[in-house]
Amino acid sequence: MSESTETKMPLDNYLAQGGKLTSPENVTPRYRGHIMRMMASFIDSQLAGSAGFADSVNTGPGVKERIAASRITLEKLVHAEQVLMLLGQFGANTERYFSHHPWTARLPRDSDIGNSRHGQDMRLNVFHYPIQGWIDAVVMNVLMGKAVSVQLDENLKISYQPLAEAYREILPRERRHAELGLEGLVKILASGNTRHEVQQSVAYWRPRIAASFGSSSSERFEQLQRLGLRNTPNEQLQAAWEKDVSVSLSELKLD
Amino acid sequence: MARFLSLHVSDVRRETRDAVVVTLTPQVGDEEAFDFIQGQYLTFRRNFDGEELRRSYSICAGRDEGALRVGIKRVDGGCFSTWANEDLKIGETIDAMPPMGSFHTPVDPHIARNYLFFAVGSGITPVLSIVKTLLSAEPNATLTLVYGNRSSNSIMFREELDDLKNVYMGRLSVVHILGSEAQDIDLFSGRIDAEKCRLLFKSWIDISSVDQAFICGPEAMMLTVAQSLRDHGLIDEQIKFELFASSQSGRASRKVVSKTNEGANAICTATITIDGTTQQIDMAKRGETVLDAALAANMDAPYACKAGVCSTCRAMVLEGEVEMEKNHSLEDYEVNRGYVLTCQCYPLSDKVVVSYDQ
Repeated sequence: MSESTETKMPLDNYLAQGGKLTSPENVTPRYRGHIMRMMASFIDSQLAGSAGFADSVNTGPGVKERIAASRITLEKLVHAEQVLMLLGQFGANTERYFSHHPWTARLPRDSDIGNSRHGQDMRLNVFHYPIQGWIDAVVMNVLMGKAVSVQLDENLKISYQPLAEAYREILPRERRHAELGLEGLVKILASGNTRHEVQQSVAYWRPRIAASFGSSSSERFEQLQRLGLRNTPNEQLQAAWEKDVSVSLSELKLD
Repeated sequence: MARFLSLHVSDVRRETRDAVVVTLTPQVGDEEAFDFIQGQYLTFRRNFDGEELRRSYSICAGRDEGALRVGIKRVDGGCFSTWANEDLKIGETIDAMPPMGSFHTPVDPHIARNYLFFAVGSGITPVLSIVKTLLSAEPNATLTLVYGNRSSNSIMFREELDDLKNVYMGRLSVVHILGSEAQDIDLFSGRIDAEKCRLLFKSWIDISSVDQAFICGPEAMMLTVAQSLRDHGLIDEQIKFELFASSQSGRASRKVVSKTNEGANAICTATITIDGTTQQIDMAKRGETVLDAALAANMDAPYACKAGVCSTCRAMVLEGEVEMEKNHSLEDYEVNRGYVLTCQCYPLSDKVVVSYDQ
């Protein structure tokens, strides 16, 4: 890295052609705003997700389940920290950032906020809803784990290379979280008269997670696409998730 | 949050006519903070005529060399690089943040990988750090460097690269491409462009055997080389980039503060620019932040925490006065330049001009 006058290519051109940015000093103010917002949304979702899942550890029926739930709780914090470190390089105060919000805060179970943001943080709407008991935690984890995997897969091509690389490390662990959830769900279904409760939980989380994909305006999407920050429209991502979920649910005869 | 530590300048060596290599020693107790990974960079800060300037330069030392060194090439009009090339002396101290950057891959001494590097000009600095580290830490690795320069006397680290070739016989090959010098073989003259890549991959470099590629240079060259690599079968994960910070601004001008009288008017006319579009909004002086006023007017202003800690909503006040209630993220030099956190800002003057594009 160095000062350079060897290049005159406008940054927007470079990005539109698939160029990568590698440090906060490369970016334009507009890009800075977008990328920081995307990072904040990821961090807040992971922090809120971890905080919400922590209580589930004690509801796990056996030690294996509790280990799995602890691991998910821990790794989501690790993921948040990884990206928070990158946010810090843009000037965020990382210590205060973590403590500025009560990440355990939740809305009442029966509220419906659609795909709108709520409150003073950038977590995805789905992390505003409370989890109720072990079965609910496992179902939420399966459905959301798959959604996060779809979103992260999309973001591997993001033009801010340090973030793309962080996501590349995070994605396999998130996929594993969804798999752990699926293993848990199989066990729950085999354990007795649980099918109805599982179905109720699926019915609760499925539309809420679907809403978390959002429906960004085409103008905004095109702007982000030009900056190399988006690749696939939200609707297509949601469709990919729906397909994945349908396959899993039908294997478990839950559809 | 940026944390600067003092480094002692223990050596300044002239590398080419317009480039120096600066060796730095951390203060006692800071050694761990400066334990770098090959390919990372340091961000320095220094005051020029009362105004703070920050510049990042890549580390050019190998990881196991036990030294912290950066290469600084002088660019015309570049305040910091000119100072480093002309005035920086042994014995001085300079402030730098701990190393940052992800222009590296994990080192594995047990496997035999083929690496391909493309560097132009001072883009060699992080590449040299990686090359040295890999030669020493991955005994089975082979490395090829394609290195573009204007002329032979502007080649940074030419001797050092020659020495490395000799010490690690048969493991490092360097292809020099010189822009303004005719050479015996046409392939080694001109620019590193798509055609050059095609010819190199045809006759000199077995691209199918390359495990990992690194590119460091200006935008156009990075795009061209990356595309050529993809066209020749490499996937994104196999290509690492480090972009020259060509968009680093020069000195920012100080904010213009118009001294309007503090009347009892409760309304302020805010002129807000985002993404080249300017809108004028009448907003209450109390109870509504500049960010909220912009959002209420359907402007797509950036923000995240709304608590003054993340700095996503940073903007510059070009005219008028505002009061920032909390600031946990902007540094003094940013505030001095006129930056504010719009989520924490209330107008004091009857008119403010704020830009998110600065």
